Amino acid sequence: MKSSLKRIVCNFLVIAMAMLPFQSGQAGMIGSDAVIASAASQADRNTVVNFLNRTDTAAQLVSLGVDANSAKSRVASMTDAEVSQLAGKINSLPVGASGLGTLVVIGLIVWAVWYFAFRR
Amino acid sequence: MMPAALYRSARLLAGALFSLLVLSGCASMVPQTMALRDAWPEGVPQRYEMAGVPFFPQEDYQCGPAALATAMVSAGVKVTPEELVKHVYIPDRQGSLQAEMLAAPRQYGLVGYQLAPSYDDLLREVAAGNPVVILQDIGVGPLVKWHYAVVVGFDYPAGELYLRSGQKQREAMPFTYLEHTWKKSAQWAIVALPPGRIPVTATEPAYTAAVAAMERVGDKGAVTKAYAATLERWPGNLGASVGLANQYYAKGDLEQAEAVLRRASDKHPNSVVLLNNLAQTVSDQGRDAEALTLIEKAGTPEPPFAEAVAETRALIQKRLAGGARK
Repeated sequence: MKSSLKRIVCNFLVIAMAMLPFQSGQAGMIGSDAVIASAASQADRNTVVNFLNRTDTAAQLVSLGVDANSAKSRVASMTDAEVSQLAGKINSLPVGASGLGTLVVIGLIVWAVWYFAFRR
Repeated sequence: MMPAALYRSARLLAGALFSLLVLSGCASMVPQTMALRDAWPEGVPQRYEMAGVPFFPQEDYQCGPAALATAMVSAGVKVTPEELVKHVYIPDRQGSLQAEMLAAPRQYGLVGYQLAPSYDDLLREVAAGNPVVILQDIGVGPLVKWHYAVVVGFDYPAGELYLRSGQKQREAMPFTYLEHTWKKSAQWAIVALPPGRIPVTATEPAYTAAVAAMERVGDKGAVTKAYAATLERWPGNLGASVGLANQYYAKGDLEQAEAVLRRASDKHPNSVVLLNNLAQTVSDQGRDAEALTLIEKAGTPEPPFAEAVAETRALIQKRLAGGARK
């Protein structure tokens, strides 16, 4: 009896929490958007935005396999404008690579075309 | 290796087809190469090659570190592609971002400068002895394959440019094909040069910004040299004057800092930044009354300088009133 009541309450809480409006902070923490909005001037807002862009960009680099210290120094080498252009786009911007991977794909396509169009 | 050989012949085929297309009149596909026919950039020789540029055969996916090392060693910095991996390579994306290619040289005291998207400018820089790193799409057809390579020479009568590229120490590429592969990156091209060696196609605002960017992480000696060179090339440049004076100030060389700032104020008598920095420098040398006149001239400016000016004024007034000289 008690455990089924507990279960009902827990399920209710889980659903209730999932329906809370999204906040960019965690419980008890002020969200970054609130910090930005309260900044006294555009200059202060810029400082906060730039700082957040830098930490976001560094975090994204780390999540893509760069070690934390390198990520920090790489982001530090870039200007605010450069970092803001990267922020959130590291996964989609062009990366110069020219590895063998695509060679194999192209080779397969060429072979497939030859096989199906000419050989059969 | 089968796929590589197929790819090479696919590329040769693409290049050949391309040249055929151009000859058959699809000149609109390579407008800049066509423009070179009518107007070869003035003062640029028809043939030029930098044989001394080193070659670093690239590892898988690491054309970024290899190309950057090529340019940086040419600029006099001892570095290897392996060292640059941690500065420009992103393991999970298996490649290097353009912004990081431009920024990485700053940590080594070099000025990274992005060229204007122009064939003329590419040729000018190469002919001036500056290797140029470009981003190309060397894919075949709809498949995009980004690749960094370094342009080290050209022979216009022979119709080709020479690149350090991938595993090839001297890749000869037709002008038409280079334009085609370069178009997709919006003709992205950079040089990484030692401070004091200004790219021949550099514009004043872009180069000043490039030096200011290096100031973030470059060593002080390099930054000082770079600002001094900027000022020599463009006397009266405000950004370079402020930057150079700041370098002297940080070193404790207040007289030099003041001299630079005063020269700049001749050209920019109402610049709030100059007035503030000059007032601070003059006050630090004990001439507080003079400093007060300067800071009063700055008035009450808009942000972002308002706070700095107010602080400087407060400090000078405190000193005049006989407070501690801190």
